[in-house]
Amino acid sequence: MFEKMLNRTYRWAQKNSLWVLPFNTGGCNGCDIEILDLLTPRYDVERMGILAEASPRHADVLLCTGPVTYQTRDAIWQIYSQMPSPKWVVAVGSCGATGGVFTGSDTVLGGVDKVLPVDLYIPGCPVRPEAIIAGLIKLQEKIVKGAENG
Amino acid sequence: MFEGLFYLFVFPGLAFQVFCGLAFEWVDRKLLARFQRRVGPQWYQPLADLIKLFSKEDLLPTGASGWVATILPLISLAAVLTAGLYIPVAGFTPFSFEGDLIVIVFLMGIPTLAYYLAGMTSVGIYSILGGARSLLQYFSYEVPLLLAFSGPAILSGSWSVAEILKSQAELGPFILFQPVGFCLAIAGLIGKLKRDPLDIPKAKSEVVAGSLTEFSGGKLAFWHLTMDIQAIVGIFLLINLFFGMPLGISPWINTLIFSGEVLLVIFILSASSSIFARLRIDQLASLGWRILVPVGIIQLLFVILMGV
Ligand code: SF4
Repeated sequence: MFEKMLNRTYRWAQKNSLWVLPFNTGGCNGCDIEILDLLTPRYDVERMGILAEASPRHADVLLCTGPVTYQTRDAIWQIYSQMPSPKWVVAVGSCGATGGVFTGSDTVLGGVDKVLPVDLYIPGCPVRPEAIIAGLIKLQEKIVKGAENG
Repeated sequence: MFEGLFYLFVFPGLAFQVFCGLAFEWVDRKLLARFQRRVGPQWYQPLADLIKLFSKEDLLPTGASGWVATILPLISLAAVLTAGLYIPVAGFTPFSFEGDLIVIVFLMGIPTLAYYLAGMTSVGIYSILGGARSLLQYFSYEVPLLLAFSGPAILSGSWSVAEILKSQAELGPFILFQPVGFCLAIAGLIGKLKRDPLDIPKAKSEVVAGSLTEFSGGKLAFWHLTMDIQAIVGIFLLINLFFGMPLGISPWINTLIFSGEVLLVIFILSASSSIFARLRIDQLASLGWRILVPVGIIQLLFVILMGV
């Protein structure tokens, strides 16, 4: 009973305070600029408790933009393992989901899910900021329902 | 009755100060957001952040000393809580004694030292840089801050915050006599809290998160709490030293005046963090020693010579 209440409080807090760490796994930088849009007055995601953090140890959500290349493969795994659980991974953009326009390149491994357990895909090339917000809200719903990786 | 309520709710310390600290963080973030024409966070945001941090896994890099990293945030939290105990809230103070201003200043310095040590224990390169920067910053702002604090103390002839408050009730608020001292104190407080124009030790784009880069989970939560409570204690101290209030009328009115003054100081702090851009560490050092310290000394001479 007490544990249930504690869990529900934790879920509520985790839902309302998502600190994201944007990481470019090898994309064209288009999606990164759209992510920066989220912090501007027009979209202001702080009203939903979402903050951009710079240190993986403070972050809850890894926002990966772009396809995973052979060069970033180890780095992204290292960053992911530095994040304290519960943690979530969001693949932003068509590249993050499948490799997008970079598919077939001999330096590209593929989508983010080749390396990390992805919780949510947000398609688009580049993704619209509205789509990212909608995706993060979906992630919040998922957290309340209790799904977690890691 | 009112005094009883105060002793019951305000002076046990922890609960009241945690509440005030979280409220401060919300007001501050909301004001900052409004200055930037954003909507800003919900009212429960600081609480949600805190609970979330407690619910997370606690990691440290290999090579970092676990118990030191655990004890540092606790020590600094204890220090600021103790400092808060001696500061009159709305004119009430149960634990005041002659010289408590010095004790408060000393206790408020402990978190900075702990912050530096936290950077050093958690082996990461950014933490070490942040820790070193926090000490450098400490040497730049602490002297002007002390000069600014000694103005009211000399003017009222006592180093006890409660006495300073009392003499302000007779003479009038000291900010009228020492506006320069007040500005110095604000600058020093911003430096102490590592807030925006002087957030050199934890500048996101330069040193990731300073000393706290490698901290996560409960330890980070305690650090955040320490910062918030340090802010609220500093603001209370500033109000008692420079604004004061007419004592002896209804305590309700005193509480009202006190809250208004707190909001005013928070407004000043948020406005300065949205107006000014971050200084470099050498700019801060030269600002501190070339401008703020001489100005502080002139203010102090003025106070001593004029006796006003
Ligand atoms: S999805 Fe499009 S905009 Fe985003 S990184 Fe890939 S190519 Fe660039």
